[in-house]
Amino acid sequence: MARTGFPGFVLGIALLLQTGLVSAAPLVAWTKLTPAQQEVLRPVAAEWDTLPQQLQKNLLYAAKRYPSLAPEEKQRFNDKLEKWSKLTPEQRKRAREKFQAFSKVPEAEREKVKQMVREQEAKKAEAAAGSAPSAAP
Amino acid sequence: MSKKLQPEHIRQVLDNSLEQIEPPVLSRLRQAREQALARHDAAAARGASGWAARWHFDTPHYKFRYFAAAAVFAAVLFSGMTYWQHVHEATEVDVAILTDELPIEVYVD
Repeated sequence: MARTGFPGFVLGIALLLQTGLVSAAPLVAWTKLTPAQQEVLRPVAAEWDTLPQQLQKNLLYAAKRYPSLAPEEKQRFNDKLEKWSKLTPEQRKRAREKFQAFSKVPEAEREKVKQMVREQEAKKAEAAAGSAPSAAP
Repeated sequence: MSKKLQPEHIRQVLDNSLEQIEPPVLSRLRQAREQALARHDAAAARGASGWAARWHFDTPHYKFRYFAAAAVFAAVLFSGMTYWQHVHEATEVDVAILTDELPIEVYVD
């Protein structure tokens, strides 16, 4: 029994470390967030307490990165955050895979796709403006 | 052959044998006994010194135990590091998607 002590101790420490690493950062209630975190994550304030733990962790990390983002990046972040949080874990996983695959496409090809999307967005905006009720005469 | 040896008889035989042992033989026997006792004392002292004693693995079986513990420890550590690496990458990609020029719909089925 005494002779199993040290190896057993080593294994115990290893398993504790593993458990601690995996379960670190428990679910955080919205009210427990700092004012700075709440400011960044305001678009998901209503559903924050129901978000999956992993998504909360990712968003908290994103909130930490937020101050270092460029102004246009901050704007996109704010615009997309709510939609991103409403995706299923599987959709987010697929989106990450597609994003990573797209990042490997040559720059010229990526720019073509971006240009195409810009044109589509412009058309949508134009259509939306055209269908909107005209202002007072 | 069928006669049973009585304890008294055995004692008598042993006492007689001892008296017949020559002094040089007796001296060597005493020396051997003292050496055996000294080895026993040293082993007992090593066994009583707790953690330090456990580092003294002198049998192949014991060495294997330490090797197995070290291997499992390394495996657990490696899997933990891999997990954190994966989480870190996922969060970096999340930020990249959220700040990307293209809308999320492009990446969602």
